[in-house]
Parts: sequence; structure tokens; C-alpha cells
Amino acid sequence: MDITGTYTFDAAADAVWTLLMDTSAIAGCVPGCRELRPDGNDRYRAELSVPVAAVTGQFDATIALEDKVQPRSYTLVVQATGRPGFVRGQAAVTLTPDNERTTVQVTAHADVGGAIARVGQRLLEGAARMMMDRFFECLRRKLGD
Amino acid sequence: MYAVDFDYYRAGSLADAQKLLGDHPGAKLLAGGHSLIPLMKLRLAAPPAVVDIGRVAELRGVTLSGAAVRIGALTTHTELAASADLGRAAPALAETAAQLGDPTVRNRGTIGGNIAHADPASDLPTVLVALDARINVVGPSGHRTIDAAKFFTGLMTTSLEENEIVTSIDVPVAQPGRGSAYVKFSHPASRYAVIGAAAAITLSGGTCSSVSVAIGGLVAHARRLPSVERALTDQAPSESVVAKAAAAVAADLGRDVSGDIFASAEYRTAVAPVYVKRALLAAAARASAR
Amino acid sequence: MTVAVEPARVFGSGIRRREDPRLLTGTARYTDDIVLPGLAHAAILRSPHAHALIMRIDTSRARTAPGVLGVFTAADTDGILTPIPCCWLLPGSKLKTTPYHPLAKDAVQYVGDPVAVVVAESPYQAQDALELIDVEYEPLPAVVDPQKAAQQGAPALHAEAPDNVAFHWTVTGGDVDAAFKCADVIVRERIVQQRLIPNAMETRGAVAQFVPATGELTLWNTTQNPHIVRFVMSLVTGIPEDRLRVIAPEVGGGFGSKIAQIPGDFITVFCSMKLGRPVKWTETRTENYQSTTHGRDHVQEVELAATRDGRVTGLRCTVWAGMGGYLSTAAPGIPTILHGLMLSGPYTIPAVKEDVYGVYTNTTPVEAYRGAGRPEATFMLERMMDRLADEIGLDPVDVRRRNIIPPFQNGHDVITGLKYDSGNYEGALAKVLEHVSYDALRAEQKAARDKGRYIGIGVSLYVEICGLGPSQVAGAVGFQGGLWESAIVRFHPSGKVNVFIGASPHGQGEETTFAQIVADELGVAVTDVKVVHGDTDATPMGWGTYGSRTTAVGGAALAIATRKIKDKAKLLASHLLEAAVEDIDYSSGRFFVRGVPDRHKTIQDIALMANVAWNMPEGMEAGLEATSFYDPPNFTYPFGAHVAVVEVDPETGHVTLKRYVAVDDCGPQINPVIVEGQVHGGVVQGIGQALWEEAVYDDTGQLLTGSLADYAIPRADMLPDIEVLSTVTPSPHHPLGVKGIGEAGTIASTCTVYNAVIDALEPFKVQSVRMPLTPERVWRAIREGAERGAGAPPLDTLGAP
Repeated sequence: MDITGTYTFDAAADAVWTLLMDTSAIAGCVPGCRELRPDGNDRYRAELSVPVAAVTGQFDATIALEDKVQPRSYTLVVQATGRPGFVRGQAAVTLTPDNERTTVQVTAHADVGGAIARVGQRLLEGAARMMMDRFFECLRRKLGD
Repeated sequence: MYAVDFDYYRAGSLADAQKLLGDHPGAKLLAGGHSLIPLMKLRLAAPPAVVDIGRVAELRGVTLSGAAVRIGALTTHTELAASADLGRAAPALAETAAQLGDPTVRNRGTIGGNIAHADPASDLPTVLVALDARINVVGPSGHRTIDAAKFFTGLMTTSLEENEIVTSIDVPVAQPGRGSAYVKFSHPASRYAVIGAAAAITLSGGTCSSVSVAIGGLVAHARRLPSVERALTDQAPSESVVAKAAAAVAADLGRDVSGDIFASAEYRTAVAPVYVKRALLAAAARASAR
Repeated sequence: MTVAVEPARVFGSGIRRREDPRLLTGTARYTDDIVLPGLAHAAILRSPHAHALIMRIDTSRARTAPGVLGVFTAADTDGILTPIPCCWLLPGSKLKTTPYHPLAKDAVQYVGDPVAVVVAESPYQAQDALELIDVEYEPLPAVVDPQKAAQQGAPALHAEAPDNVAFHWTVTGGDVDAAFKCADVIVRERIVQQRLIPNAMETRGAVAQFVPATGELTLWNTTQNPHIVRFVMSLVTGIPEDRLRVIAPEVGGGFGSKIAQIPGDFITVFCSMKLGRPVKWTETRTENYQSTTHGRDHVQEVELAATRDGRVTGLRCTVWAGMGGYLSTAAPGIPTILHGLMLSGPYTIPAVKEDVYGVYTNTTPVEAYRGAGRPEATFMLERMMDRLADEIGLDPVDVRRRNIIPPFQNGHDVITGLKYDSGNYEGALAKVLEHVSYDALRAEQKAARDKGRYIGIGVSLYVEICGLGPSQVAGAVGFQGGLWESAIVRFHPSGKVNVFIGASPHGQGEETTFAQIVADELGVAVTDVKVVHGDTDATPMGWGTYGSRTTAVGGAALAIATRKIKDKAKLLASHLLEAAVEDIDYSSGRFFVRGVPDRHKTIQDIALMANVAWNMPEGMEAGLEATSFYDPPNFTYPFGAHVAVVEVDPETGHVTLKRYVAVDDCGPQINPVIVEGQVHGGVVQGIGQALWEEAVYDDTGQLLTGSLADYAIPRADMLPDIEVLSTVTPSPHHPLGVKGIGEAGTIASTCTVYNAVIDALEPFKVQSVRMPLTPERVWRAIREGAERGAGAPPLDTLGAP
């Protein structure tokens, strides 16, 4: 599954970069994140409880930030395993300055397995988009705070 | 297909249901059970408790009162399809209920459960949004009414607050000169809407004095198509005018369309105007017949 | 005593199926309905990965969960279960089998590969405990497409077959290379026969009761072939066949998916052996989609050589047939013997060659699915006939007529080495064309096209190989069993008859048609005949119900047994009537002295006398029953011609099937209503492949159509009334002349509908669309055609309301 998203932040690239690297901001914005703890350099372990309607996905996840080119681009690598299945995804994130603003472009690929892939394929793309939107909307709000 | 253990409570009344929800954090409401039970059997949902409101009498029935039809949240799709009042007041809704899922789903599934579940490919939300329906809910902070267009906020996400219960849906009674229709691209397996388009048109003097059109199935939730509505308002709904107006759907959908293995986002986006056009033409034909 | 008189001959009459009352009132008893004292419930943990090493399995938490009686992994089966054997070992194909363990040992090969099993007091507890098993996997790259899997550098599944090729089988006839060298015309196509899920209404399951004190096993199993189950189960578990009883209770459909023995069956038996308690395992639907065998899954590259005037001179093809993660019971024979040997179909083709690669992929094992190899062969041929017609500007019917084998009654040698029994392909074609008024239909199509409506007409012929088959041939082609059938027909003293057969019908209606055969042969009322099947302790050996063989082989065994009874009854009649046996005549259940019809004994009189045995001729044994073993001298070859009419919505790509007409020839029909029902079901399953069905795996091997919400099977409201007609060409070698009808509809219908859709798209010069023909795929083909131009209608004219 491939999804893309574009998010515009009212801030310079450096500030957006700092936000994107801020553990507490990430922990607060990853949908359903209950706990995020560092696990080495640019690596985190997370407990996620992601509710979509009556479905609640409980996941143990590792999140890694790779190929960092400050403040231009990095790759977000996520592996999550839980009761409804597993997700292995990576997202190429690029920051493009645009006057006082910064456009964040996300190109993500995810492989999904287990029950969610087997019985939920028609909703996966929409659900993934929703998670991504929620994450970046949340970060955008944090920037406004 | 064996669910995780859960506690089962049967509510005797709406007040009882509210109390049970309050007493059991994480509990899910059970109405017809045609969305929740399959998820539980697949173990994708594992609520600690289920509060069955299936026998709460005050949530049943279709009643005509002045300018609106009030549909109790527990009304089944079969009852919607069979309701003479609804057939006159909002024929598109009755017709939609008649083609939803299969007979088993229609006999058990309820309108309240359907909209609270808010599956993006469900039929009823699209029609309710097009018909300017209003959703009545009750919760810990009392009663409130939500416009259908504001009720659906995301993929399987609604503006219902914690422990709020849908009690009824009000649908405006169609006035003379108004026609409505729902046209669906049905998934061959699930019968969910790959694309669903609902339209309501009021004709006066041969032109569309009001147009409302909504789409579902290809976006995260049912939504209105303001560009299409604007393009057709005050126009005579000839085939070419309607086709041109329907083409504006692209502007309203933008990049929000999701695809799946059966139909890609690109394809859905490309053929969405066909369904919008067909819904508009059908609505216009009915409007001129009334 | 009176003789029950049938209103007309019962053979050939469309009496109601005696199976239906219990099926329609919900009183039939299936495997999952079996409840035994002390019954425990098994649940199987399946791999979520398509390809992975199993690093560690920790069952400790599951073992102590409430209600749990046992948790087992592959290690526990050592010394108790052997690997599951493949039973069709194609000679001369470098076939490479690999250990197929009921519980995966070190690696998993597909999503759904069993890893562990929990047995608990209740199915809920078993399912709960399943979630407490921790398995550590090391995921490996996966491959799901059979053609890609056979390419260099593809991830390898098994050390025994590092190139993933399980076998390479070839059939040749004539000089195909020469045919292509001097061909006027060559047409080529790459065809994907997508993977299908059989979707029997009853999922698979088993109830195993092993009694440690006696070492005896009773297995209730939803199967098409209980005697094969007994044989193979005995091999795998070491329980001697004489202590192993297999019962197929009511079986809710199979379509090929209940031929193979799948890991769950062996795991269930193993659990009962370990625990000494009866154990039940029933697949859920989503489990069924991963664990029960799939069908089709071919990638075919086909080329056909012909003269400019439409005579086919050669057919050459390469097929990559997906086998899944392991070789299932009969899998290797399906894309080869049942496919490649049928390459030339109902046509005279002087040269053919086919290379078939059976390829391991990280998917659920592939097996027979209704038609099993023959629909895939018919599709190739009938598709290429249309391509040839298109290429040389002939009507598709004319091209077929130029190549059709003329009518024959007693044998016709075919280029692949087979000998067809009898056929009148031209007759079937003429009948279907006349029924649809073909020329008028073409005129209607043209008129509609002028109005911007896209109607398509598809025509296909087929001939299939059925009635499997002579056992000598089975042995020669590597089938690890026989293909004969046996029957016992037994008269009770009261004149009622029991039939005991080894074949195992599971919805087809042979309890009715077999009674019709017996009633017709013995002159008893059809209601006086009861057919017993599906219990290895009660019935004689039989090789099962598949390949449209039950009536063709089992029915022949039955007819021969009744004739033996009649011979004995005649001797007894002559004794009782005190007349020479040469003077005894028989008619409708009565034996009488020639010219003196009043001096007679009914078959019931004789049954009574034979059973009480008060007055038997010297040396004659008591009783009136007979056993026969029938090993057919040849296969049977049913055939037919089908026509489909479709309309394509050019705006959305939706295909509407407007009309479907089937003319089938299965020889004399024992019960035409049952024949019609079989054709309906078969046609619909074939249409399903053309328009809706596909098991979709993603590139990592996840099954994305894992439930009936995504896997589309045909429903009544998606279909027109199916018009069923027939011709009758008896098989010369069969005692009743019958050929078999179970698969016929499926064999022609996929290509008939496909050809119709491509025909509808003719203005857009579309030659190929991947199946199933979903709206999006058809819509894209239309767009691409319109963009190519070449006289195609421009896009903006497609706006039909």
C-alpha cells in the first residue's frame, strides 16, 4: 500500500524539523500512542492503542528515524505487531521551504499482514491516511501552541 | 469465529442504556449487531461489555410529524424500505434501504447502528447527508441535534461524544417539485458502495431552485459536493448541463479519494461523475414528475 | 403381490432429489453437527507470514490457560505423524516433492501454514489460548506469482527445488515447430488464469475419535473420498486401515476442495491420539480461505499457427502453474494430465506442444477446482480461436467450423494421444446457434453499436475428459491409486434394495440417480431403493467423487451389479417356475415363462425366496445380492457449445450478462432436472471466474481477499436465467452410455463470457483484459483503446446515460 500526503506548516524548515524530531511531540501526536521510550539512537519503542470505530488495534511498535538530512529529509521506519496483525512501513519525509512556510511531503509504503490485511483491505488505505493526517495535524497544532 | 469473553447487559430503556454505558467503561452499544458482532467474532473488536439496546421500545418506529419524518434509531432497513410514510416523504431513503446489503442484513441492521458505525462505504450516510437529515442524540450532557453533514467526520468516525446514543433521525418531508435519488456502484462481494451518489433537486419553473448532492464510498465519510451543487443551481437539468455539473465532482473530491484492490482511487475519481450525473438526472426526473 | 408400476421409465425422468428434504429443512447432519461424549475442540495457530523461519515457539502461557487440554507443535508429532504424501507423482517430469508436515517444522511457506494447535474443553477457550502462544519468526522474502517464482533469483521455498520448479511436464504431437515456421498467421496471447477459492458452503473440518484401548480411529471428515482418506490417514498415522473408519456425513459441497487431505485433518487425528479424547476441528470461513486448497493459478503463454483461410496448423504454449507452498494430494496431475492432454479440444490440430512448469509459491496449496485443468485448457483454445477469427476477419463460428472434428460414434484418436469416445460437436454448435438465432443476434449487436451500446457475443465449444478413468492409465501417469469403483446391490427379504457404493456424492444428487439406475434395471419402485455411501465400514472400496466420475464409473459398477442380480434371479425363477432358463423372459421386474405371462415371479418374490432359501436350486448360494468392480476401458468425453451475450457500460466498465445458453452432451440423462442443476451451478462458477472471483495476494504473500466481503462469488441477482439445452451422444464403452455432467458448465462458461466481453469491446480493438473482468479493468481497456485511436469511438462519445 502506497500513500502520500502534503502538509503545510506556518514556520521555517528548521523549526518544523525540530518539531518532527521532538520525542514528546511525536509521542503526543502518534495516534493512540500510550508510551514512547527511546531505544538507542533515533530509535523508539512504542505502545499503541489505535481505535477506529469498534476496532481497537493494540500494537507494540518500533519507530526509527533514518537517513536524516537536517532540515531537509529523513525516513521514518515503523514496525508494529499486535493482535489484529502487523504493519511494516516506511515513509520518506521531505521538507521544502516556501517563504515563511514549510511544506512537508510524505511518501509512504506499508506492508500489512494478519487479520487486518485479510478482512480489512478495503479500509486500509483510508485508515492509513487518517492516521497520517491526524499525526501531522496534531504536530501543526503543536507548532501553533 | 469465537469472540473474546465479554459481559452482556440488556437495556430496558434509554435511561437504563445510558446508565449501563456509564457504569461499564469501554462498553459498546449493540443494536442490530451487523457491524459489531462480525468484528467481535473476528476478534478485531473485544469490548469488555456489550449493552444491548435492541429491545428499547422508545427507539423504534417511523413517525410523520409536520415537516419531518422521525425515524427511531432502532428502525431496521427492512422497516425503512417498507414504511409508507418514508416512501412518500423521502423515497430515496426508502429505496436505498431496500438495496442495502442482503435480506439478512436488512432484517437485523438498524439505521442508528449503521450511522454510528459510520463505515465509509455505507449507503445511508450518503443519502442522509444529501437529504439534510438531522441526527438526534442523547448523552451524559443531555440531548442535542447534529446535522448529518456534520455528524460524519472521518473514517468510521462521528461527532458522537463518549457515551452518546443516537436516538432518532429527522428527515425533511419532500415538498412538491422536489425529487431525490440514490445511485450506487455496488461491490460485488460486500454490496457496500464502491461509489454512492445521492441527489435531491427542487424544480421550479423548469430550473433547479435547490440542489443537494452527496457522495460516499470513495472518501472517508459521506460529504456534500458544493461545486456540483453550485454548477447546477438555477440551471435547467438537461442531460448535458447535468453532465457538466457532475464533472465538478473532481474539484470537491480533490485528493481525498481512497482506493482498494477492487477499484483504485484513480478509477473511482474518474467514474464518480458518472454516478453523480445519474443520481442528479434521476432526481430531476422525479422532481418534474411530482 | 403387486408390482409397483412407474408412470414412465424412471431412467430419464426428472424426479425430485431425495436429498433435498433434509437439506432444505436443516435436518442434514454435517461433520460439525457430530457431538460425542467428552468432545474437545481444537484451534490451529497459523502463520501470519508468507515465508519465514520459525525461530522459537513458546506455548507455556497457553498450556496453563483455562480449559486447555494440550498444546502441540511439530516437535510433538515426531514419530507419530509422517509428512503428508503427494499422490500424483508424474513420471518423466523431474518431480520434486518436499516434506509437507501437518505442523510446520522449521519454516512456514504461506500465510495460514499451521504452526501449533490448542485443544480445549470449548472452542472459545481454544481460541483464547491460541493468542497466548508466542512464535518468533524471521521473515524471508516471499514470491506469489508462479512465473516470477520460476525466474532466476526468486526467493526459494524448498532446498529440494532451489529453482522452485516442482516439475516440468511436456506433451507433444506432430511437428509443431514446422507448423509455426510455415504458418500464414500466428496469434499470441498471455493469459492469466487467476487463483480461485472453491468456497464450498460447508468449510472443512474433522471429528476424530481415537480409542487407545483398541487402537481404533473413527474419523468424521467432510471429504469427497473417504476411502482415500482412510488409505492416506493410515499411511501418515500408522493406524492400520482395518482399524480406521472414515465417515463422510452430509458434505456441503466440495468443488475439488475436499479431495486433498489438508494439515487440519491430520492435526485433529493427532490430537485425539495424544489425548485419548474425541477432538473436533471446524474451519471458520477466513481460516478456510487460507487453509483449504485453492484452484487454477496459471500463467499461460499461448501461440496458435494457422493458414490464412482459418485452418489451425499448430498450438504451442508454456504454462506456469502455481502449486502453492507444498504439493497437495493430486495437484501435479491437474495442470498436466487433465489439462495438457486436452490441448486440441474438439478440433483437429495437427501439431501441439505444451510445457507445464509446476511452481512452488508462498501461497495456499493449489488443487482441483471444478473442471480442474480443463477450463484452463478450453480457455486457451477458445480464446485463440477468437483471436484467429479477429486476425483473419472471419466470424468466430466460421473459424471453429473449419477446424471442428466431424461426428464420430466409436472412438477418435487425438494428437495428444487420447482416444475420444464419441462426439458430435457440430451438432451441439448448430443447436446453440439455432436457439439464439445467431445471425439475428449479430444484427442486433450491430444495430445497438450504432446507437452507442456495446453488446458482445461469445461462443465456445468444449470437450472434457471425464469418468476418470482406466486404472492402468492412472498408474501409467503416476496417480498413486486406482480409479475403479465398486458397488454392492442387496435385496432384502421384503424386496427392498440397498445400494452400497464406494463413491461419495456430496450434493450432486446420486442418491437419487443411483436409485433410478437400480429401479430401471431391476424393475423395482425407485422409492424401494436406498443408496448408502460415505462410510468406509459400510461401503466397498471406491476412489471418490471428482472428475465427473461418480455416475460414469460408480454408476457403471452399479449397473453391472444389478445385471448380475438379474442373472441369478433368472436362474432362481426358472427353478421356481419349473421351466428351463432359456424359456424365462424378463420384463419390468417380472420373470415369466415365455408365452405364458401368468406363470411368473416378480423380482420381489425371488428376493424373498433367495433370502429365506427354502427352495434353492442345487449349488446356488442363498441371498440376492451382487458386488461389482468396474474399471472403465476408457475415459468419457462429454462436450458442448455455449453462447453468452453481454453488454458493457462504456462509462463505467460494468459488464452485464444478458443471456447465457448452454448446450451440453453428457450422453443419456438419468435425471434431466439434476443435469440442469449441475449445468446451472457449473456455468455460474465459470462465470464467477470471468467476472468476479480472484484470490488476491499482495507482493509479500498476504491474502487480501480473506473473507466473503472481498472475495466475490456470484449471486442469483447478478445472473440471467440460464438456458439449458442438450444433445445426446452415448458413450460407446459405458454400460449405460452416460458420460458425466458435474464439471461441464464450468469448462466452457469462463471463456464464453470472456469472449463475449472482448467482442463487445471490438470497436476499441481490445484483445486482452486480465480476469476477473472488473469494471475498472474493462474501463481501462476501453480508455486505452480509445486513446490508441484506430477507428475507436472517441472518449467523449461514451457518455451514454
